[in-house]
Amino acid sequence: MGALSGNLSPRGPAVAEELTRGEFARGYAFLLPLAVFVAVFIIVPVIGTFAGSLMQDVTFLPKRFAGAENYRAMLSDPGFWQALRFTCLFTLVSVPLELFLGLLFALLLARPSPARGLLRACVLIPWAIPAAVSGRLFQLIYNYHYGLANYLMGTFGLTDLPVSWLGTPAGAFVSLVAADAWKTTPFVAIILLAGLAGISQDLYLQAEIDRAGFVCRFTRVTLPLLSPVLVVALLFRTIDALRVFDLVFVLTGGGPGGSTTSLSLYGYNYFLGGDFGYGSAVSVVLFLIAFGLSVLYVRVGKFGRELA
Amino acid sequence: MSEERQVRTLHLAGALGMTIFSLGPILYMALTAASRRPDFLSHAAGFEFTVAHFDSVLRTASLHFPEYLRNSIVVSGASAALCVSIASPAAYAVTRLSLPGRVFFLLSVLAVSMFPPVSMVGYLFQVMGKLGWINTYQALVLPYTAWILPLSLWILTSYFAQVPADLDRAALIDGCSRLTILRKVIFPVAAPGIFSTALLAFIIAFNELLFAMMLSTDHAARTVPVGIALFEGLHGEIPWGVVMAASILTTIPVILLTLVFQRRIIQGLTRGAVKG
Repeated sequence: MGALSGNLSPRGPAVAEELTRGEFARGYAFLLPLAVFVAVFIIVPVIGTFAGSLMQDVTFLPKRFAGAENYRAMLSDPGFWQALRFTCLFTLVSVPLELFLGLLFALLLARPSPARGLLRACVLIPWAIPAAVSGRLFQLIYNYHYGLANYLMGTFGLTDLPVSWLGTPAGAFVSLVAADAWKTTPFVAIILLAGLAGISQDLYLQAEIDRAGFVCRFTRVTLPLLSPVLVVALLFRTIDALRVFDLVFVLTGGGPGGSTTSLSLYGYNYFLGGDFGYGSAVSVVLFLIAFGLSVLYVRVGKFGRELA
Repeated sequence: MSEERQVRTLHLAGALGMTIFSLGPILYMALTAASRRPDFLSHAAGFEFTVAHFDSVLRTASLHFPEYLRNSIVVSGASAALCVSIASPAAYAVTRLSLPGRVFFLLSVLAVSMFPPVSMVGYLFQVMGKLGWINTYQALVLPYTAWILPLSLWILTSYFAQVPADLDRAALIDGCSRLTILRKVIFPVAAPGIFSTALLAFIIAFNELLFAMMLSTDHAARTVPVGIALFEGLHGEIPWGVVMAASILTTIPVILLTLVFQRRIIQGLTRGAVKG
């Protein structure tokens, strides 16, 4: 699938024939700076976090080896389970919603129209602005007294009383999902749009000759051919949703009562409080979940298989 | 034919809905920033235009907004430049020299890009604390660069793979070194790809919050997203007009970039994610 592998495989070996021993060394030298950066600032810190999770490491207390103590404490920590549950629930609700909306957007954006470029740019804007900004913006939108959400609810007569969006656990959850959908739907749409562009127009022409209706064309042509890209978008978004931090931190601060604290925020709060051992242990759990899924992603996406 | 018309009407309505969904909240942000009162929707006085909020964002020394913006631009610009200059030799090696293990290399880098930032930030905070780097530019630029390198490598690899290898061969015969080929042959041909990569790297670094919150402490290095995230009013109530004015000022450069370079951003995003 795609430009990368398609263009790489026929040419790679031909150039390789000309490689001398010195060029091999130079080739690795070209990779070296990137490898060093990734190793020093990502791999080493992750290993450090794993090691740190086995220590008791609280500011102003002597640092000592603690074995599995942090993990054992985690098992009986209701806050941890609440964060784990919220993170999973948030992912399970927001990702399918974003995929659905993203597909809808992609189908709308794929249709030729004179304003297509402008339309695409408009849709991209929510993705491009910082999550801290969109978090603040939605905090205002959900303002109990004069926010846009309650104004619209009142105007359309949906509720008699204003809704306490951020004051109840359910309201805060819905608010987060909606704000996240606003921000990440464009990303999904753009990826699916690329997938749509890869579907041969001949198939649609053939379907039209066969007098296949709009719905039939969608379920028989578009959906099956788009499914590899849908899977990629699904896994990409899942991993991103699992590590959600910015939006939660700004919009709800993890509240009310810790009900919307994600694992990233829970770990961060411990780092901020100076408990690096426990914070690291929480981060390790999140890391393992995300890592498991990323292995799945690489497998399912069949990345680089044609390269080998 | 009538179905075709139905579809067209649906498409028009959909496009309209999509635009309102995307831009409505931005418009609300702009209106609140320019309104004397934040409750202009429900209050009898309604909307009254003012530039006072923008004025106070730019002139209130204690808010440090101009410093935050400068820090953000320096940090993101440096990260984008580093990303491109480190990822392009690597992308060249991956596409041009069939080194053993290059597929494994690409895949490992892809897996690394999915690590949750929180699993690095605690350790980085402790190490940078020992080095005395907390609240410096390098404390942000170096992790950002490492963090965005995987995506940069994937985007650049897909662009470089499209440059015909015959160009390399011709240059090799002329006695050019690989590094010269990268600089003089690949860079000009793949310039759009390099630009897309730098643009995406800039946007990602510009928007980052978690590292910036842990690794910077005040206006010497703090970036705009942190400033906006930690904005607190003097007496508890958030000064919405000022916060939204700061948000608009932060968003305008990003919106302009998006409007002007929409095609580049979309190309970069899809190459990094799908290789469609």
